[in-house]
Amino acid sequence: MDSNNLNELLNKYWACETSLEEEQQLHEYFRTNAVPEHLKETAALFHYFDENKKKSVGDAAFDEVVLSKVKAEAPAKAPKGKMVRLVYNSMRIAAGLAVVVAAVYFIRTEIRKTTPQAMVDTYDDPKLAFEETKKALLMISKSFGRAETEAKKIDLFNKATEEVKQKETNEL
Amino acid sequence: MNLEAFENRVLPAKNKLYRFALRFLGNEEEAKDVVQEVFIRVWNGREQMNEVQNWEAWCMRITRNLSLDRIRSMNRKQTQPMEEAYQVRHHDLTPHEKTEQHESMQRINVLIASLPEKQRQVIHLRDVEGYSYNEICETLELDMNQVKVSLFRARNAVREKLVKINAYGL
Repeated sequence: MDSNNLNELLNKYWACETSLEEEQQLHEYFRTNAVPEHLKETAALFHYFDENKKKSVGDAAFDEVVLSKVKAEAPAKAPKGKMVRLVYNSMRIAAGLAVVVAAVYFIRTEIRKTTPQAMVDTYDDPKLAFEETKKALLMISKSFGRAETEAKKIDLFNKATEEVKQKETNEL
Repeated sequence: MNLEAFENRVLPAKNKLYRFALRFLGNEEEAKDVVQEVFIRVWNGREQMNEVQNWEAWCMRITRNLSLDRIRSMNRKQTQPMEEAYQVRHHDLTPHEKTEQHESMQRINVLIASLPEKQRQVIHLRDVEGYSYNEICETLELDMNQVKVSLFRARNAVREKLVKINAYGL
């Protein structure tokens, strides 16, 4: 590589337009050639990159240590069988359902407690229920009858007061 | 994945992961610890590995995340230990050359360590590890534009400082 080529390549390098191959050429050049004074620091930079690439763990026992640690780790859990997974999943669904059912039950009882119930059946036998109803209705009608007679008395009194009032106005 | 596949395919990436962790942590022991942890995570997550397209990028991502976690948990300045920790070994050089080279390595080291984190990661993956842009995107979970901009800024920041060093010997 002559100096023109080198300069061109370096300019491309600084502009980040070099390909990996061209960068390799530069590394190669600075590795093998004596460089002009003004490129000494650039050469040092490439030398630095090369030196860094040579860095290694440098510990012969490193692999052993890693492998022994890896072996010591619990073996990866074997993927669970299909049946186990099925049971496991259905248990989860069942647990979810149980929660929903329990929640609905408690909410229902709570609502029942707070709002009065419209109808509660008390008799199982329809005949008996009919008799009881009749009895209740008779009682009501009896009470009504009594109330009527009492009301008639009041009515009489009302009529009397009205008559008195009328007579008074006539006299006047 | 069985142990053999792990040993043959994943474990050889250790140096790459180590260098990446070292870039964050600047401390060899810490970096080694992180890489060990990465391997254990990879082993424990090996069931997912079949779904992972690029497992090396996956390992690198774990390395980055663990390294960042470690930095955060230690709550310390990254640049400080980094300067001390980078000991570049040289052989077959005269003592004078050795010191000279050592000095310039140290200078560049400090210079790169002072870059913003994203730029540091990108320049490391590109110029040290020789990753393609696509690989960098995948590893760092960035889009192409961000990667290119970061690399451009990183290289130019380095260049600017190098020029200054060259001109004024700073």
